[in-house]
Amino acid sequence: MPNKKSSWGWFWQAVTGILLILLVGLHMVAHHFVAEGGLRDFKQVIEYLSNPVIIVAELAFLISVTVHAMLGMRSILFDLGLSARMERFVTQASIVVGGLTVLYGFWLTYTILAQGSAPTAFLFP
Amino acid sequence: MNLYRPELSRFRFLRWFDFRTWRLGMLAYILNRVTALGLVLYLYIHLVVLTMLAAGPKSWDPFVAIVRSPFFLALDVILLAGLLIHGLNGLRVALTGFGCGVRAQKPLFVALMLFAAIALLIGAIKIFTG
Repeated sequence: MPNKKSSWGWFWQAVTGILLILLVGLHMVAHHFVAEGGLRDFKQVIEYLSNPVIIVAELAFLISVTVHAMLGMRSILFDLGLSARMERFVTQASIVVGGLTVLYGFWLTYTILAQGSAPTAFLFP
Repeated sequence: MNLYRPELSRFRFLRWFDFRTWRLGMLAYILNRVTALGLVLYLYIHLVVLTMLAAGPKSWDPFVAIVRSPFFLALDVILLAGLLIHGLNGLRVALTGFGCGVRAQKPLFVALMLFAAIALLIGAIKIFTG
């Protein structure tokens, strides 16, 4: 079991990791196995995102994968044997990069949906 | 500024490349880290590429036609391999971290990697024929 200092990071990495097994599975099947030709064209993307449950699942995927990736990169960087000061900097940088990544993902989802029509009207009254 | 603790002046990650330490546990650890780096790189490439969706079908649809080619489908298979190895190995790490199957973690690793290989084969066939 990890020490107390890093246990919160380890715990959330494990939780998001388990969530990701389900969410990556859904994402891969929906986008690469079910989609004709292995990838959805624009119209198919809009149709796929017309389901509110799918939007929630994709945004949960975005948040989980970002948190998991930032905690993982932080852990790998800590393996370089950084000083306490550098470890604090890496933690803060991970939070900033992760936050920007999630914001970008939300903006992108909003922008794609804004180009859709009736199925997504509930988001843009 | 001293960025490195004196007692850790030799980078711990260099152990990844020391084949003398490549027991099964170390191999699992290295696989987890290497696939993690690859998947993070892929994540950000993927997010940048998805920006084309914001520009609408005129930008996205010609790109889709390109990535449906066998070369890009092969890259999808590599992605699937990374996801399966990292996901299943990570599941083992999480289970043992919570105290489940600690004594069986080596056979569990072997079993999960065999499962990953079978799933990868099925997934690759599906990607190329689907």
